Amino acid sequence: MTHHIRQHTKTWVISRRISQIFFLLLFVYILWSTTYPLSGVLPTETIFKIDPLIMLFTSLSERIILPGIIYSIILLFLTLILGRFFCGWICPLGTAIDMAGAVKKHMPLYGAWPGVIRFIKFGILSIIAAAALLGIQIAWIFDPIVIIARVISLNLIPIVTLCFEKFFMILIQQFEFYGPVSDFYRILKSSLLGVKPYYFSSSLLILLFFALILTLVVFMKRFWCRTFCPLGALYAAAAKFSWLERTVDACTNCKKCSSRCRMGAILPDAAYRKEECILCLDCLYDCPLRITRFSFTRPISHGSISHGSISRRNFMFLIFSALSSLAFRNKKRFSRNNYRSIIRPPGSIKESAFVNRCVRCGNCMKVCVTNGLQPVFFESGLTGMWTPRLVPEIGYCEFNCTLCGEVCPTDAIEKLSKEQKQKTIIGIAVINRKICLPYAEGKECIVCEEHCPTPKKAIQLTPHKINNQVLLKPFIDEKLCIGCGICQTKCPTRPKRSVKVFTKGERPYK
Amino acid sequence: MKGRVERILTCLFNQKKITRSQFLKLCAGGLTLLAAEKLLFKKLYAVQENTNARVSRNIKGAFDLVSAHGDDPYKMTIQAVNAMGGMAKFVKKDSVVVIKPNIGWDRTPEQAANTNPQVVAALIDMCRQAGARRINVFDITCNETRRCYVSSGIQKIAREKGAVVYMAEDWNMIKAKFAYKSPMEDWPIFRDALTCDTFINLPVLKNHRLTTLTLSIKNLMGVCGGSRGKMHFNIAEKLVHLADFMKPDLTVIDAYRVLMDNGPSGGDLNDVVLKKSLIVGTDPVLTDAYASRLVDIDPMSIPYIKLGVTNKLGSADLAGARIERINTTP
Repeated sequence: MTHHIRQHTKTWVISRRISQIFFLLLFVYILWSTTYPLSGVLPTETIFKIDPLIMLFTSLSERIILPGIIYSIILLFLTLILGRFFCGWICPLGTAIDMAGAVKKHMPLYGAWPGVIRFIKFGILSIIAAAALLGIQIAWIFDPIVIIARVISLNLIPIVTLCFEKFFMILIQQFEFYGPVSDFYRILKSSLLGVKPYYFSSSLLILLFFALILTLVVFMKRFWCRTFCPLGALYAAAAKFSWLERTVDACTNCKKCSSRCRMGAILPDAAYRKEECILCLDCLYDCPLRITRFSFTRPISHGSISHGSISRRNFMFLIFSALSSLAFRNKKRFSRNNYRSIIRPPGSIKESAFVNRCVRCGNCMKVCVTNGLQPVFFESGLTGMWTPRLVPEIGYCEFNCTLCGEVCPTDAIEKLSKEQKQKTIIGIAVINRKICLPYAEGKECIVCEEHCPTPKKAIQLTPHKINNQVLLKPFIDEKLCIGCGICQTKCPTRPKRSVKVFTKGERPYK
Repeated sequence: MKGRVERILTCLFNQKKITRSQFLKLCAGGLTLLAAEKLLFKKLYAVQENTNARVSRNIKGAFDLVSAHGDDPYKMTIQAVNAMGGMAKFVKKDSVVVIKPNIGWDRTPEQAANTNPQVVAALIDMCRQAGARRINVFDITCNETRRCYVSSGIQKIAREKGAVVYMAEDWNMIKAKFAYKSPMEDWPIFRDALTCDTFINLPVLKNHRLTTLTLSIKNLMGVCGGSRGKMHFNIAEKLVHLADFMKPDLTVIDAYRVLMDNGPSGGDLNDVVLKKSLIVGTDPVLTDAYASRLVDIDPMSIPYIKLGVTNKLGSADLAGARIERINTTP
């Protein structure tokens, strides 16, 4: 690289970086504000509503039209005009990968295999599409938005809040700063940090998955985006027809752009694969002669330079065959298996449909005020990984709260009104009389009863006379119990709680 | 060793550059000194107190108890406290006041599980007029704290009136030390509840299945951290010891809307009865006894009032007490 190029201001690259940082921060902000009382500027679903992979294939596999699908279609149309601007300018996972890639200075030599591995992502996309046609939604596994949203919600935000919490705790306690520092900390807590740092089970695994994707840059820059990203593949299919096109007049074949392209989109002869270009615009400045430019062409003029991928006819065939699958709608499809082994959030649709529709974005767990919603590992089967589950040992379902349904992007948890939610049964509490204090030890305890939130208490007390003293013993009114789990959360017996919420199918015999 | 110290000192005072190892040694030495000072100070100078309870200021009002009745809880509160001799009696200029309402539940004011926000507002206004430097409002809640603070309406109105509303941190606790043997020994108590100049206890009168009624003594549970579920065994003794430990300077019982059944969390509007009353007093046992009479319950049937009398925490002698009854309805 010669000296005068270094001095040249890379306006487009700088604007692209600003855009990437802006959207990454916006993304973190949206997820950070996904907490009670949801006072963020943008609703949380926004980030998923603009994701065509999630929106289209969940709609397809569920045979429904998800509300807000139009935004993702708008993005696809924009891609038809501009190309994969989303990948280069917006995608937060792409930004994270670029940041990780910044440590890698040496570019891989141009070889055959960077040109071949790019087909893997189309393979993944076709598997997702085929599965969706069969009614199975697996778009969540590799969707970049879901991957980074889950990491931000379940790893980044808890770790940052925990660090703040511990930092101020040590500062205040060790140096006895009970004045302004304490006040500042409390303002921070009520505005940014929330009541307490949240913990999520199996979150290490979520972090490792993310870390693995970032580590892939040791092979080459944007390895994930080139090779695996199904959303990138979807955008690539649209970008194939985009109007914005890269042209190089009177190229000297110096190969600087092709050897430095982070997507491996530029061929050695300076021609390029349009569908692989994410408009990072590095090549504008890598070109020593500054003859690379991007300009709008008329949509049809470029017809002949196809380097594989999918033909227009096949693409249309795929779309129409997908639409025709709507004819196979079968509402009774999910009616058989409604057995749950774990407590799902209130408003969750039937179990098999839930596992299918949930995209594991982590929104419901992030927003749950009591931290009770936790990602499951294999507790609900292999297919249920990272779906939400209520763990009353950690937190209960707050009676007046409907937030999890409000933030679910695919309506796997339905939006319930407060009145509907208060009548939604998610489980049934059972008292274990072998360890319950009044039954087992004759001690006074009415903690479960006093916390029971239903207007007519689902936990009642019966007075028993023992040695001239009245002892109140709790019992569950199964007609009134909604399974919110506050009794289990607050039960003072340890290590085992004497009242436990079971799903309807799991309830043990008394 | 001496040479090294001298070298470091010369570096410091002559503003020469010190090496990294010197810098690290300086830091380590400083921290060791700080730690040693802390340890030694505690060993040498800390006065061994057998109790860290709040010091009672023993302020008496113009009456033993004032009971108000009326349509407007804000006006009732102002007139009742004025009848007691005014807030200036209890709140000194530039002092720190804690108002501890019951904000335990994620319920609206109409559901009567929390203290009426109008009463909180009136007390804050009066404390400010009396010249309080800072008014802290908090409760350690049963439901999720943010939801309780918002639903009860107390956070909004208290902040408007200029009080500081915040959540208690679970690490910011002081272990209670009693001068006598107590089941509450070492129980964590929220620091700010103990470090204030005036503590105003502001419960709401409501039903409770275990203690019959939730009153001022029961409301003090809201300054306790730890596993509060375990307090329910032998609750009367624990509560009475806690009240003796906290020594509230003023007790105001809100009985405007009273939850008569399914307490303490309630939730059914049919259980709420409009009593339109307010009780102000300095003796927690007396105010509780009077409040229980308000809902036709024998004070002596409530275990913590009975024990409070036996332990001489206060008196439940309603006939012998100087009681002022005021009516604020025009």
